[in-house]
Amino acid sequence: MVWGSMIAWYLFLAGASAGAFLTSAFVEAKYPDSTVMRIAGRLIAPVFLGIGLLMLMLDAEAGLHNPLRFFYLIMNPGSVMTLGVYCICVFFPVALAAAVLEVLKRPVPKWLTWTGIVSAFCVAAYTGFLLGVVKACPLWNNAILPILFVVSALSAGLAVTSLVGLILDRKRFEQMWLVKKGHVILSAVEMVVLFTMLVIVSSGSIEGAASVQSLLTGEYAPMFWGGLVLLGLVAPFAIEGYPVFITRKVETSTTSMVVSVIGESGVLVGGFLLRLLVIMAALPVMYL
Amino acid sequence: MARYGMLINTKKCVGCFACRVACQMANGLQSDESFIHFKEEETGVYPNVHAEVVPVQCMHCENAPCQQVCPTHATYTTDSGVVLVDENKCIGCKYCMAACPYGVRIAIKETGVIEKCRFCWDGSEVGNPPRCVNTCISGARVFGDLDDPNSDISQEIAATNARPLASHLTDAKIYYVR
Ligand code: SF4
Repeated sequence: MVWGSMIAWYLFLAGASAGAFLTSAFVEAKYPDSTVMRIAGRLIAPVFLGIGLLMLMLDAEAGLHNPLRFFYLIMNPGSVMTLGVYCICVFFPVALAAAVLEVLKRPVPKWLTWTGIVSAFCVAAYTGFLLGVVKACPLWNNAILPILFVVSALSAGLAVTSLVGLILDRKRFEQMWLVKKGHVILSAVEMVVLFTMLVIVSSGSIEGAASVQSLLTGEYAPMFWGGLVLLGLVAPFAIEGYPVFITRKVETSTTSMVVSVIGESGVLVGGFLLRLLVIMAALPVMYL
Repeated sequence: MARYGMLINTKKCVGCFACRVACQMANGLQSDESFIHFKEEETGVYPNVHAEVVPVQCMHCENAPCQQVCPTHATYTTDSGVVLVDENKCIGCKYCMAACPYGVRIAIKETGVIEKCRFCWDGSEVGNPPRCVNTCISGARVFGDLDDPNSDISQEIAATNARPLASHLTDAKIYYVR
């Protein structure tokens, strides 16, 4: 395929960055005294996006040699990449400003948070549309992929922020039922959306079917089943879902903490693998 | 205004790769970089099989998908219908490579710019004819103005009933006799 792991990293980090910002906004609104997670989300957002953009620039070699050329990126509003650049041009400064205000212990104004929320959604969605509009690859060219990427972005952002909350402020984190519930639901939704996409894509064309085949039973099967499905979706769903929906009690044991850390990390690994697999497994249409 | 196109007759092509080498020389490409790609097709069931060599290069599509996705407008189309890359605008994001249904775009190793066949464009005009055409040992390639009904290529297309490879994918300006 034309793109490789660098772009997968970028897509993942951009999504997780947007998700982290949204998580911090949610935590601020619903759990005002849970400062650790709010701060974590606000700091992670610009850092992740910054690293992601670095990856993107390293991968675009001609631009790397002549950095001024990156200004041309705003030239073609008909290209999803240009639209993405517009979104990032709003989101990145907003996320950065929010992080700086947080570090300076100043309040983040409401309008800034709202601008951030809207642009974060746009950033998360554009990464899906970027691939989604490519007609030459049936695995990408469907309406479900952008939705899958948004769900996965929210999930990854929530996971990385939760990871910090879990380690630094566990007592409060274990009380945040809404966050925990949301997390379980996101994993479930992601499973359904992923399943839907694979079914639709494989019934749509020979190339689509072959792409799906390579994920389910072909060369990418170990990564797909082991990494994405088991570690990235099923394990977090079970680990978070069990205390939230079955036992319904606040966990305090160290074992449960270790297990939770595995669950949250699994979401992150799964989020990255999802993008990597989607990039690698896409087969172009046949023309001969 | 002319609208340039090419005809490739795979029945005449012997698969000698002379066009590819000529193209590499003309465009200063390394030996592992090339604008012309060769596809081998086998059809039929034994004993009635048919093997065919299909040279593939940029089809200079109308409403080229690569141009639509190019974020910097580095990819553009001339008035004469030739799809070109402005190497001073290309950042090497490879979006065009993903969008091209024929997979004919390549990254130039030295610069990172994504390039492809340009009909031997010299800055203001196409090569007349491009190198691959006058190098071809079997006369499998014809180049010219598709809009002029009297041009060699228009005559040849009419005579051989040549067609683009995949008209369901894009509106290509390279016609094939197969
Ligand atoms: S064949 Fe590919 S590179 Fe050439 S114009 Fe069409 S999409 Fe662009």
